[in-house]
Amino acid sequence: MPHNDARQQILRLFMARQGAFISGAELSRELGVSRAAVWKQIESLRALGYRIEAARSHGYRLQSSPDRLSAEDLSARLQTRIVGRELVCFEETDSTNLQALRLGEQGASEGTVLVAESQRGGKGRLGRHWLSPSGVNLYTSIILRPRIPPWDAPQLTFLSAVAVARAVQQVCGLPARVKWPNDILINGRKVAGLLNELSAETDAVHFVVLGIGLNINMRADQIPASLRYPATSLAIELERPLPRAEVACAVYRQLDDLYRLYLNEGFDPIRLAWEACFDLVGEKVRVESGERTLTGIVQGIDTDGALLVGSAGTVERILAGDVVPVG
Amino acid sequence: MEIKDLKTLIKLVTDTDITEFEMENAEEKILIKRGPDKEFVHVAAPQMMAPPAVAAPAAPAQPAPAASGTADAPAAQDDKYETINSPIVGTFYRKPSPDADPFTKEGAIVEKGQTICLVEAMKLFNEIEAEFKCKIVEILKEDASPVEFGDPLFLVEPL
Repeated sequence: MPHNDARQQILRLFMARQGAFISGAELSRELGVSRAAVWKQIESLRALGYRIEAARSHGYRLQSSPDRLSAEDLSARLQTRIVGRELVCFEETDSTNLQALRLGEQGASEGTVLVAESQRGGKGRLGRHWLSPSGVNLYTSIILRPRIPPWDAPQLTFLSAVAVARAVQQVCGLPARVKWPNDILINGRKVAGLLNELSAETDAVHFVVLGIGLNINMRADQIPASLRYPATSLAIELERPLPRAEVACAVYRQLDDLYRLYLNEGFDPIRLAWEACFDLVGEKVRVESGERTLTGIVQGIDTDGALLVGSAGTVERILAGDVVPVG
Repeated sequence: MEIKDLKTLIKLVTDTDITEFEMENAEEKILIKRGPDKEFVHVAAPQMMAPPAVAAPAAPAQPAPAASGTADAPAAQDDKYETINSPIVGTFYRKPSPDADPFTKEGAIVEKGQTICLVEAMKLFNEIEAEFKCKIVEILKEDASPVEFGDPLFLVEPL
């Protein structure tokens, strides 16, 4: 058994015990290795920053995990069906979306998750930069291969927005809302940005990359004042840091649930779930789309997700642009 | 023919590359034609069967999926040219970011697999690649302009 598989299995057993002891004999039986080999794996986990207590006649228990997003830690926690079946973790990369596009071209399987501790070139919309300091946030991309035509692929934008909003609500109890189509806001400040990319031919999707940047433990002094939109992090809102792996897994589980719902029942339940997180209906917004700027009142979203903005007696369908609440 | 059977027949035809289908028997004649910009069904039936037959053309209200993508140029264009069409509704971008250089320009030769533009719909970005080596003859849309599903974006000459 490769070392990291054994470590992952030990972590999974520890996590199932929720901090209770597990005997060396049981670990050795579960892993099918000697107790000396178990001890060696425990030592290697300690070297990675896991605090593991050993007590005579009780065995071992996990006291705390390092705040790192490692494949063995994440897969020990995840019990998803699709999202996270493969995990690729980087200490640093250019952009998880770029890596996902590369892996997707090479045939990476549906549900492959890429995650990085830091990004040199985090991607935003239209070549904008996504702030990606090391070791504090979640930078992740997920490869999906739904059998849908390309013109339905924008529906996944709403799916990933709902997943992130729900994960934030679930882990922190914070009122995460969506801004059309898929920024996540807490008290009007942006906590997550999502950027999806499509690889398709005329009538078939090859794969979709769901890119998610979620500010978890970033401190106020790490956020430049010059950002386009006021930003925040979960830790700033909660006034305490959060275990990132827990937040990441909540996002992956929500994505997994919603994606399976989408495959079985289509876009309607996703749209309804998204609308439940959207509170700009009836509000005045400015939409900046290319060269054009439109100001009007949000009427809601269309069945395909297009934003409906009422302006000068007509209702416009918005498919792309930056939406800024005004007034 | 029942409308339900006619629908099935249309589906069978549109699932293939067949562009024209004709069937005739003692009672009726059915002709299904498909092209890049249109699809229509013509049903000629004996007078007696007129009412159901009239309703039939309503079936293919939507353009068939096969009508999009790299299709033949409109009839008016020279045969040696083809168009590269938008696979989704959205905003067409010639550049990766507003202050960057365009992906390509008129007169340029692009390789198969080279990115030639972006189409964004609801924050989903689709990098459109050339599906074959070609010369960009004309760029048919302005940067940052809205495009419909199946709209021609580039007129190209395959090389």
